[in-house]
Amino acid sequence: MNEKDEVKNQNEISDHSKCESEKNEYLEGWKRAKADLINYKRDEEKRFEEVAKFSVSSLLKEIIPVLDSFDLAITALEKNGMAEKGILMIRAQLEDALRKGGLEKIAAKEGDEFDPQIHESIGEEESEFEEGKISNIIEKGYSLHGRVVRPARVKVSK
Amino acid sequence: MSKIIGIDLGTTYSAVAVMEGDQPRILENSEGNRTMPSIVALSKSGERLVGLLAKRQSVTNPKNTVFSVKRFIGRKWTDEEVQHDKAWLSYDIQESSSGGVEVKMGDKLYKPEEISAMVLAKIKSDAEMRLGEPVEEAVITVPAYFDDAQRQATKNAGEIAGFKVRRILPEPTAAALAYGFNKKKDERIVVYDFGGGTFDVSVLEVAEDTIEVKAIGGDTHLGGDDFDKRIIEYLVKEYKQREGVDLSVDSLAIQRLKEAAERSKHELSTALEAEINIPYITADASGPKHFLIKLTRAKLEELVHDLIEKSITHLDKTIKDAGFTVKEINEIILVGGQTRMPAMQEAVEKYFGKKPHRDINPDEVVALGAAVQGGILQGDVKDILLLDVTPLSLGIETLGGIFTKLIEKNTTIPTSKSQVFSTAADNQTSVEIHVLQGEREIASGNKTLARFILDGIPPAPRGMPQVEVTFDIDANGILSVSAKEKKTDKVQSVRIEATTSLSKEEVERLKKEAAEKATEDHKKRDLVESKNNAEQLIYVTEKSLKDAGEKVPADVKESITKKIENLKTVKDSEDVEKIKSAAGELSTEIQKIGSSMYNENNENKENKPNDNQGAAE
Repeated sequence: MNEKDEVKNQNEISDHSKCESEKNEYLEGWKRAKADLINYKRDEEKRFEEVAKFSVSSLLKEIIPVLDSFDLAITALEKNGMAEKGILMIRAQLEDALRKGGLEKIAAKEGDEFDPQIHESIGEEESEFEEGKISNIIEKGYSLHGRVVRPARVKVSK
Repeated sequence: MSKIIGIDLGTTYSAVAVMEGDQPRILENSEGNRTMPSIVALSKSGERLVGLLAKRQSVTNPKNTVFSVKRFIGRKWTDEEVQHDKAWLSYDIQESSSGGVEVKMGDKLYKPEEISAMVLAKIKSDAEMRLGEPVEEAVITVPAYFDDAQRQATKNAGEIAGFKVRRILPEPTAAALAYGFNKKKDERIVVYDFGGGTFDVSVLEVAEDTIEVKAIGGDTHLGGDDFDKRIIEYLVKEYKQREGVDLSVDSLAIQRLKEAAERSKHELSTALEAEINIPYITADASGPKHFLIKLTRAKLEELVHDLIEKSITHLDKTIKDAGFTVKEINEIILVGGQTRMPAMQEAVEKYFGKKPHRDINPDEVVALGAAVQGGILQGDVKDILLLDVTPLSLGIETLGGIFTKLIEKNTTIPTSKSQVFSTAADNQTSVEIHVLQGEREIASGNKTLARFILDGIPPAPRGMPQVEVTFDIDANGILSVSAKEKKTDKVQSVRIEATTSLSKEEVERLKKEAAEKATEDHKKRDLVESKNNAEQLIYVTEKSLKDAGEKVPADVKESITKKIENLKTVKDSEDVEKIKSAAGELSTEIQKIGSSMYNENNENKENKPNDNQGAAE
């Protein structure tokens, strides 16, 4: 083999390896794009499910204060001995409708350990309970499919 | 290779985003929220809490709840800022041995970057959960005024959290990237960032491949929270005047009032009036009391007018510091939730004499821009991978000269689309495929790219044969159109080059023309479609009359024939309404065929109970 041929051969080899590396780069890019699309589709499905499940949360957030007002109204009326069965029924009806939509009341009672996962403290006070326990429930908490829509607003014993 | 995420590590809130395809997307955290409070706490039970959970217990655990730590990161103890902020903090800070700041949480002392690292660590694990893969690299944003020490400390925070920090990016630069302004060479951009607790103005200049910060200004203690405070103060004062009750001493009342005030502030960004309605807010000797006050947009603007003015003064000063005049500014970007307030937008617009950009969610724009930077570093946004789009829609001509689109304009290529068409007449043995490009609904208004004929279709009634038309555009914009008769598999095709080679002007002209003729075309299309429907209806009715033969009573047959004749005469007119009503009458009428046959069938059944071979079955 003479020198010229060798140079030519080497050029061919380097051309070939350039092609090879380009091919690999493109194939890699193509595979990545395909994988991205498949993953995107899967994620999108999951996101749709989530959206469908939680799309009502903003509406629920608006309705929860109405439930609060109902609670306050009923307490005030009971004090005056004016609480009518009808009003209690309307409240139950509203709660029932929301429960069907997936809204659940967060269980919280005085003396429970304060848990920021489901409770929010809005103040401290002296009470019969140990320090760090819930002394007073100010507003009820609600969750939707296990996700807290509004934590229970509580006072904590100090 | 894992993705590089973009993090907006804010004073009060943080957000995180990632590139997906060619667009950045916000990642929700484990609680399902798009932003998270930048708060860390050591709970009374000794548990470390980050984000929303830390916020929820802050009232009862103020000493061990650390917020706004960004105000101390990388600062010296002797800094004026630190001495000023120290006064209003609920937690303790002290001088570190190296002259920096240390934060006390529980019994331990932490550097501010260690606290920030706890926030970043939660962001990291939440992002990994969302993406379903490990996340190792991040771009983190900082205010433009951060000095080297502050940037280095932020970078350290990222590294403590387990990130490889690929870049520390100024927040205004991130906002400009989110809007794609890095491509606007030689432009000058102002970023007006009104956040919850801080207000920043930056002047940027876009040079070759870089965005340079020319001047910065603002007020680190001016923000949307001040607006909320003003509203609550006003409402408390107003209520005291009207009802003689001081709500500020009642924690439940204040809690409800706070929420209502925030809601009304948001509402007043779109409405002119908001009603703050809080039943049973308190009680006195006379019984329960309610809260009902109307807040108008004008009143809100009056309450915070001076705060907005203050921000404009800072804006003016910063532009002057940069050495520019107002006229030399090309783009203005609004960042921060408070910029949703119309009065604020108007103030900025009035100052510049042009509209600021605010199409991207102002709470998320910085994180999105950081993700864009991450994408650039990763190579996702490499120029050679930029995919072309079809500038105009592509499709074929269908019955009555209608343009039926197969590929919509602005579709990213390469792509392919198929649709099945059929014949318009009985025993039609060939179809002409007329390939068109354009936006008009009427075929003749668009540009013809090719015509070809597919023949050899086996004779059949109209609507029966299935011809599948496929459009395929490759990455070079070359369009292949094929038509296949599905029964015989006979195929004809054509290849058209240079579908994307139209000049920009030509594309614009065609789009404009389509927009101008849109109503006219739509009317024409409506007419053609009504005619097509009428013809189809006549065809079907005549066929079923024939098929049913003697089973249809003579009177029914006669009335239907009359309606058919009526439709036949009006269908060639230009009156859409007449055609539609005649077609409507006919379709009501033909239901009689079915019902008369059904009745007959029932009668038959009564007469011959053993005969199950009813005609209508």
